[in-house]
Amino acid sequence: MNLKNLLSGVLKIFGKDPEKFAQQNIKIVAAKPLGTRLYSGDVKKCTLIPGDGIGPEISAAVQQIFAAANVPIEWETVDVTPVRGPDGKFGIPQAAIDSVNRNKIGLKGPLMTPVGKGHRSLNLALRKEFNLYANVRPCRSLEGYKTLYDDVDVVTIRENTEGEYSGIEHEIVDGVVQSIKLITEDASMRVAEFAFQYAIENNRKKVTAVHKANIMRMSDGLFLRCCREMAKKYPDVKFEEKYLDTVCLNMVQDPSLYDVLVMPNLYGDILSDMCAGLVGGLGLTPSGNIGLNGALFESVHGTAPDIAGQDKANPTALLLSAVMMLKYMQLAPYANVIEKACFETIKEAKYLTGDLGGKAKCSEFTNEICDKISKSS
Amino acid sequence: MALRVIYKSPLKWTYNLARAQSTMSAFEIQHKTPLIKKQSVIPVAMYGGRNAVTMLPGGGIGPELMEYVREVFKYAGAPVDFEVINIDPHSEESNEFDYAITSIRRNGVAIKGNIETKSESAGVLSRNVALRNELDLYVNVLHCKSFPGIPARQKDIDIIVIRQNTEGEYAMLEHESVHGVVESMKVVTESNSDRVARYAFEFAKKNGRKKVTTIHKANIMKLSDGLFLETSRKIAKEYPEIEHNDMIIDNCCMQLVSKPHQFDVMIMTNLYGSIVSNVLCGLIGGAGILSGRNYGDHYAIFEPGTRNTGTAIAGKNVANPLAMLHASVDMLDHLGHKPHANLILDAIHKTIAEDHLLTPDLGGSAKSSDTMNHLSYTQGLI
Amino acid sequence: MSLITRNLPRIFVQSAQIAAARNIHCTSNNASAALAERPDSRVTATLIPGDGVGPELVYSVQEVFKAAGVPVDWESYFFSEVNPTLSAPLDDVAKSINKNRVALKGILATPDYSHTGELQTLNMKLRNALDLYANVVHVKSLPGIKCRHSNIDCVIIREQTEGEYSALEHESVKGVVECLKIVTAKKSQRIAKFAFDYAVKNNRKKVTAVHKANIMKLGDGLFLRSCEEMAKLYPKIEFEKMIVDNCTMQMVSKPQQFDVMVTPNLYGNIVDNLASGLVGGAGVVSGSSYSSECVVFEPGARHTFSEAVGKNVANPTAMLLCASKLLRHVNLPTYSEMIRNAVEKVLKDGKIRTKDIGGQNSTQEFTYAVIGFIV
Repeated sequence: MNLKNLLSGVLKIFGKDPEKFAQQNIKIVAAKPLGTRLYSGDVKKCTLIPGDGIGPEISAAVQQIFAAANVPIEWETVDVTPVRGPDGKFGIPQAAIDSVNRNKIGLKGPLMTPVGKGHRSLNLALRKEFNLYANVRPCRSLEGYKTLYDDVDVVTIRENTEGEYSGIEHEIVDGVVQSIKLITEDASMRVAEFAFQYAIENNRKKVTAVHKANIMRMSDGLFLRCCREMAKKYPDVKFEEKYLDTVCLNMVQDPSLYDVLVMPNLYGDILSDMCAGLVGGLGLTPSGNIGLNGALFESVHGTAPDIAGQDKANPTALLLSAVMMLKYMQLAPYANVIEKACFETIKEAKYLTGDLGGKAKCSEFTNEICDKISKSS
Repeated sequence: MALRVIYKSPLKWTYNLARAQSTMSAFEIQHKTPLIKKQSVIPVAMYGGRNAVTMLPGGGIGPELMEYVREVFKYAGAPVDFEVINIDPHSEESNEFDYAITSIRRNGVAIKGNIETKSESAGVLSRNVALRNELDLYVNVLHCKSFPGIPARQKDIDIIVIRQNTEGEYAMLEHESVHGVVESMKVVTESNSDRVARYAFEFAKKNGRKKVTTIHKANIMKLSDGLFLETSRKIAKEYPEIEHNDMIIDNCCMQLVSKPHQFDVMIMTNLYGSIVSNVLCGLIGGAGILSGRNYGDHYAIFEPGTRNTGTAIAGKNVANPLAMLHASVDMLDHLGHKPHANLILDAIHKTIAEDHLLTPDLGGSAKSSDTMNHLSYTQGLI
Repeated sequence: MSLITRNLPRIFVQSAQIAAARNIHCTSNNASAALAERPDSRVTATLIPGDGVGPELVYSVQEVFKAAGVPVDWESYFFSEVNPTLSAPLDDVAKSINKNRVALKGILATPDYSHTGELQTLNMKLRNALDLYANVVHVKSLPGIKCRHSNIDCVIIREQTEGEYSALEHESVKGVVECLKIVTAKKSQRIAKFAFDYAVKNNRKKVTAVHKANIMKLGDGLFLRSCEEMAKLYPKIEFEKMIVDNCTMQMVSKPQQFDVMVTPNLYGNIVDNLASGLVGGAGVVSGSSYSSECVVFEPGARHTFSEAVGKNVANPTAMLLCASKLLRHVNLPTYSEMIRNAVEKVLKDGKIRTKDIGGQNSTQEFTYAVIGFIV
């Protein structure tokens, strides 16, 4: 592969002031590919948050694979163990926040949810820092790992900042709680636009808006209206509307009915996990969070403290998230090489980790992928 | 649950309860006692018009009789689902028994046979008593009415016996002070006496009864029975339209067997209630006919009126199913399923009054199952 | 004997039930079958065909009832939101159901907007009018229907009068809509108790509460707490909690692990449909909605299937199973079993299949096949 050609190609596209671009993102996101502004040099810096439990192992595996593929990325590993801030509260170290802000892109392993009050959840902090408004999760059946469903290929795009998770709740009188589901036009437009943009960039044919507007006529109605409006701007992409319950019903009967799904927060949360269930669990599904100020890619599975440090963990989810990240950074050629190697390794089923029914160690699995990469280049 | 903890040392709890109640007004019991407040929030187990009811078959003939009740209910199409809980009488463990209490709390209504307590050790309570205490079923109602068709010494008796059900002589506070000297405590509280008396007068008023008689032994037990009598007199003043008199228990027993028709509604403390109800049952035809109802603020339990286990005739197919059937009728009535209650009641009357199908205890020769089959058949004809 | 003073509020806190006149349901399940044929043992039930294929399915039920000689009389109402001019008034329908205590209902279509700008759908109004708070969907793998999963047997109990379906929405400023989700302790406890009582009555082992209390700490927290409290009264029933997203994931990968599930409104809707999808779709799953007084039987997954109207292709299985459950509820177990067995035999035979379960037969053919198995 000719690295120089690729880079110069990408550089040509670049030409926007990153700061300005971020501010205008809502309006003009359609005009330019999303990752363009991030490409400012030969080697791109990227923040890496290894995480807890099995996190460091699988992060190391990803780094090893990236090195094998000669990906022009320099990792900036940061520690996010909460520290006591100047205000006395525990929070993310400033260094980590700075790194994230500087690099505008990050890869994150699983994090232990901090128990107890006093410090903000890290996910929430990062979400706020990056203004991550959309969560993307492609779910694809993997050849070689047999589940009951073998024709799944859907992408769930979830609004990430409002909806049911607005966090506005109060107890009116004793025993009566009122939670507010907040839907705004801005946020709905933004996520709808992202969905169509994603569909075009990834050669998807159809976008389905998932809603429950027959019950929540105003709030989901607004979301639906935004999707409809956005659909008019993208005549090449097929658009349809489906009730949430219909999607659930049909998804488990025939997942091939759907392509890209866009929906408000709670529905997305539920459906994305359900789709992950269809293809074999969270250990195999990548996830990306796209925001105004950057993007964060992560593996959403648990920290699995019981097998931490034993070289048994499966790095697939984090690796595929990293692949998503590469695509987002317009480094698709690298992404494709790595992705192919990963899928092939799983398909051959020679080196599978325990969770996929194999006996291989994490390092064996990783080495196999590296071998495949070096053979193909 | 605090209750469970309390139950582990029942003696102490009863004592505490009794002591606490003497200083509490009825309002406080209603509104401040955690026991009552906590339970009042449990929703009724009624779904789509069908009720869930706890069934405690108990020992002796209980299981047979319950089988009959279920059979009759099936024929009558009564919308009731039973949750059957069998309590092993020999077991010292109270797990099953605790579960039964929990179940009644959930369902609100129960039908039960007599639960035996085989244990002889002093620390183990009679489970029947414990059940009433735990659920605070402070009043027991026995409607003694002569049945046409049942041979009896006295005709046309119609007496309501209302009995304090949780304290008095059944407080179960006994101890041996020195060797050979046993003290048994009888507890009478104003609040409980008040509740019983009020229930009796309300009952009389709602049902058009004319007279309430308080049965006591205040000439001897001047303080305890005196308090009970005083309280009922006080309540009586609030119901001027209902006549109130009192009678000493020994005299009462004599009057009952000679001139029972002078009585209408009777109220009494626990032990006297036990005596009077058994005397009355004897008068109108034996232990197998009448049903008793136990009410508290939140729960109701229905059972055969005389609370006999009938171990001697268990499994012989001669037990009289009437008492349990009457209890089930009461239960349907309580749940608001009047048509079904009347259906079963009519069938019972037809069986005993017109077809004279009686079990041996009533001087007949029919087997329990005969009566039952007949009952079902009769019902079909209604 | 009926001398109970039921109005004494201090004494009978729990007996607040209305002793309204009701039908006497009489039947027998032994040799003396003649008993069940007595003229006064007939049952009246309200019938709401609903929208979409509803009327066709209801017709199928009526055919089967006729063939089996079921002593049920229908009180039929056309009730619809998409066709408001022809629809019977809500009050009439509610009154009829209140009187009969049982109803069989097709699915009502719910448009995204209403002509009058109302936020409540007709379905919601009916539920609120009758206080049908508990929706029970029994999802069970049926013989003869090929699915990816097998041996599924779970019951989903859903609160359906509050939560997200409160119809309290407003536009604070332009482009910003607030939708209120209401959770109350009273209703949460009520549904939790319903679920546990259901488990006890039907010999179930486990109740799973589905929630999202990690995010909605107050609202779903209250629901969860109510379930936890109620669980203490049922020491013999295992209780577990599951976050809704994990629950859906488990549902598609290992649905056999679930027994009874209790959920707030929206999650119930999701899990209902998901589970229905696992066993063969909307056409084969029956459900019911309970208030303390009456029951409405309706298909478990609510889809009107309006694209198939008049094509005679809809699957009447769900509706027939609903009818079978209705018969059991009104104490006609013999007929209930008869119809259920007939439906299962047809499915197991596999010769007659409607389109949704991989066949080519029409609704009518399926119905006749069921009638064929009724002896």
